[in-house]
Amino acid sequence: MTSYKKYLNMIPIHLVLIFFAIFALIPIWIIFISSVKPHLEVYKNQIALPEEFKFQFYQILFKQGYYKNFLQSFYFASLTTLITVIISTLAAYAFAIKIFFGKTFLFVLVLIGLMISEISIIVPVYIMITDLNLQNTLLGIIIPQVALGLSFGIFLLTTFFKEVPKELIEASVVDGCDDKKILYNVILPLSMPSIKALALIEFLWAWNSFFFPLVLIQDTQVMPMSVRIIDFMGRYLFNYGGIATVCILMFLPIFILYLVSQSSFHRGITLGGLKG
Amino acid sequence: MTLLNKNAYFFLLPAIIYLAIWLFFPLLNNTYLSLLNAETARSRDYFFVGLDNYAELMKDKIFWRALLHNIIWVILSIFFPLVIGLILAAILYNMRSRLFYASIFFIPHTFALIITAIVWRWMYHPKYGLINQTLDNLGLGFFKMHWLGNENTALVAVNMMGSWSYYGFCVLIFLAGLQNIDPTLNDAAKIDGAGPIQRFFKITVPLLKNTFMFLVIWTIIGSMRFFDLIFVATNGTPNLATDITGLYIYRLIMQQGRVTYAGTISVILTLFILSMSFFVIKNLMKEND
Repeated sequence: MTSYKKYLNMIPIHLVLIFFAIFALIPIWIIFISSVKPHLEVYKNQIALPEEFKFQFYQILFKQGYYKNFLQSFYFASLTTLITVIISTLAAYAFAIKIFFGKTFLFVLVLIGLMISEISIIVPVYIMITDLNLQNTLLGIIIPQVALGLSFGIFLLTTFFKEVPKELIEASVVDGCDDKKILYNVILPLSMPSIKALALIEFLWAWNSFFFPLVLIQDTQVMPMSVRIIDFMGRYLFNYGGIATVCILMFLPIFILYLVSQSSFHRGITLGGLKG
Repeated sequence: MTLLNKNAYFFLLPAIIYLAIWLFFPLLNNTYLSLLNAETARSRDYFFVGLDNYAELMKDKIFWRALLHNIIWVILSIFFPLVIGLILAAILYNMRSRLFYASIFFIPHTFALIITAIVWRWMYHPKYGLINQTLDNLGLGFFKMHWLGNENTALVAVNMMGSWSYYGFCVLIFLAGLQNIDPTLNDAAKIDGAGPIQRFFKITVPLLKNTFMFLVIWTIIGSMRFFDLIFVATNGTPNLATDITGLYIYRLIMQQGRVTYAGTISVILTLFILSMSFFVIKNLMKEND
């Protein structure tokens, strides 16, 4: 009887969990379902299935060249991730393995960097990018985006690299390995999951990034998807289906990445958070 | 091991140069800019004005109101996503299906904030929106409201969007924090006859204090990042009831061309965030001793 009672007790708990799961999923469902509805049906019931599935918006968007902005987002996020991961790996290697003058001071600077957001540096960055004539270029948004993500990258990878057993590194030194060999043959193979986690998070941040592109890019051909959506909304305010379609297109790659590598995402987010 | 400690700066150099130019120089330059002004907006002939910008800031009602909204945002976020996240994590902790649920709760966090704003704006639509329609169907029609158009509800309604994207993140962080807690503590309390609610308040909550404080700092920093959300959801309307400091800076740069004054605000905000964070961290360290 006790197990029966135990199950009975679990029912309210599951109800709470299911409630919050539905809460999480409803807006995503609405965006998806609105993108395949005939134009005016969105005004009836936002969560209902359409009477007839229509994919007209997807075709229109492709014809209007929105795939270009999609590619821009992809280049922006990939390059940002690549640069951030490389620079962070090198710096984290020094922070985790080596002892040197000024280590604490430099690491405190990295921690301060964690607390800086777009708002804190936008004005000088805006002036610098304009002076360098990098407005309306991908490079002009990659540079500040890397600056924001770098502190997190160094911090996260330092935490992870410290978990590599010291004995292993000492043994490699005795065997005559230099820095390059230790990094390539000892640290990197053992830390691949962590680097993957960092890459995913940086990619997500850059892909969803909005403030820098909004301020630094006005040319619709160069804009990443995030800012192009706003441009689209300004032109077709009441075209819900069209807006939903652009949103789904922007969300889909991230969603797929998340589905295939959830554990890496979780690892990066939680470890980055906790050790802080 | 001395051999190993060589060349440290070689590895650090790219990061040091990059952060110096693109993060710390802007921070300092910002402070310098805040002491300048131009004859007309958009002109780039700056001249030194001392603390004039700060004097103006002190009297700037729009700024203080926006900052107040930032603070309200943080407080609301501590109440809803953080507390809900804590409770959900405590429930999930002993369950086999915890990763399944945590993964679902986390999906909104991968949603771009602008998309979050777009879809929630539809859900808040006074006539066709899901929220008002649901209230109607439940016979609660008298609760219906123009959520985003009403000065009293707009900020809370927008914060709700932020909470939706944030609570799954809190669940994950709390779950990770719970995994660091010694499970025998809970078992011992169980044997001593403590109920689940008692155990939650007497064991889980005190031991998760560090995690909680971390999330508070993260929320303070994050309240500056919710620019995207508010920019798309309300852009400060109605009547600046949802204006936050980020939006004000954006307007100053892009619409009014008052770059140095925007820099002044950003200096104050940065100091505000850093001092709040250090205050929280310091208190944490004191109590851990």
